[in-house]
Amino acid sequence: MRSMMDNKELTEVHTKLTQELRRGVLVLAVLSQLTQNKYGYALMGDLSERGLEIDQGTLYPLLRRLESQGLLQSEWSVEGSRPRRYYEISSEGARLLDLLKTEWRDLTTMMESLLDG
Amino acid sequence: MSLIDRYVHEVGRHLPRTNRADIQAELRSLLIDALEDRAGPDPTEAEIITLLKEHGSPRAVAASYHPEGQYLIGPALYPLFRLVMGIVLAAVLGAQILAWTVAAIIAQDPIAPLHALDGLLTAIPSAIGSVVVVFAILQRFEVRPDVEEKVWDPKKLPKVDEVERVKRGERIFGIVMSTLILVVLVFFPQWIGFVTFPGGEFFANPIITQYIVWISIAIVASIGLDIYLLWQGRWTLPTRLAKIAMNLLSITILILLIQGHTAWLADHGGGGWIATFKILPENIDGGFQVIGMHAFRLAFGVAVIVTSIETLVMGYRMLRDAFGGGAFPITIPLQKR
Repeated sequence: MRSMMDNKELTEVHTKLTQELRRGVLVLAVLSQLTQNKYGYALMGDLSERGLEIDQGTLYPLLRRLESQGLLQSEWSVEGSRPRRYYEISSEGARLLDLLKTEWRDLTTMMESLLDG
Repeated sequence: MSLIDRYVHEVGRHLPRTNRADIQAELRSLLIDALEDRAGPDPTEAEIITLLKEHGSPRAVAASYHPEGQYLIGPALYPLFRLVMGIVLAAVLGAQILAWTVAAIIAQDPIAPLHALDGLLTAIPSAIGSVVVVFAILQRFEVRPDVEEKVWDPKKLPKVDEVERVKRGERIFGIVMSTLILVVLVFFPQWIGFVTFPGGEFFANPIITQYIVWISIAIVASIGLDIYLLWQGRWTLPTRLAKIAMNLLSITILILLIQGHTAWLADHGGGGWIATFKILPENIDGGFQVIGMHAFRLAFGVAVIVTSIETLVMGYRMLRDAFGGGAFPITIPLQKR
């Protein structure tokens, strides 16, 4: 038998598993906030305001990946002082968002029932 | 803003050419957004440095935009890469060992193993290198293999004790061939040899005649084991040990035969192929005898290699089973509900 984890190891494992859990919901979170067009930094602010802190180095590449998958569309626009790239959910993305929402709700119900034991 | 420009430029250096300019423009605008939000329109250099440090090193940022670009051979290609690498290495190794053994037998060159080692040292890195280059190119062009079987049938999984089962066809073939050879050896030893050239004299192989008793003993033992295996239907530790012992006996006899041929060849001026071709025009009959004996020796050499490989495989299987490999029959009673 291995010895019990010390506190440091426990914290490390906790951090890693929390990151994995959050990474799993990232796409859903991003799609849900892009029903209106937004540029990257504003989206990060919105997510942060709602309590989802996401690293810039994670969010911006994710936006481009979702766009390359056809779930988002983007264009450069000069709405403010300078040109910015604005992202918005595509029609395919919106359909997927609906499916993922249902999935998420089923998942949370199921997990609640599991955790209540 | 020059620090930001330098940063964005550096990120671009690590990005693939496609989309590079677009990613750079977006990254620049996003960094400026963040900076304005934190420090207003006139940020200090220290504030810019803090922001860039938070954002991450240019190489890491570029990598996050192009995760597949981080791999020389990516995870999608890796299983196929390992498979191909295994096959190529086995082929190179096998070919080298074969070439080395044949060279050692034919040329009687005591330093042949050193040459072989030298050859291996060159052949293995170049084989590995070639496979890596091919897969790196596949990776670069994003070729994704579709090697996974789409539909697989659990019923087609090999049975756990399949390795143990005696292959009847192989054994029967072995018995028939061994019996034929035995009959020739015992009753018609004068037939073992060759005709030196069409219409020429028959030349009986003098070396084989010397060892007929030993060869016959080995063949009888092998026939006996084959019959026992057919009767038992499966390999066990004693039968494997017996088979290995018999193979070692065969290898010893084969080596004696090879040595006998080599000595005969040396006596008859045919120490090497070149020498053989030199004596051919002078003495056609003797020359063809020498060539025939060379052929016999070559065949015995091949037989040594085949028998050695078979013995090694058998030894490996025996050790694997003895030390808890995968071939134990596992029985777990299924619970009835």
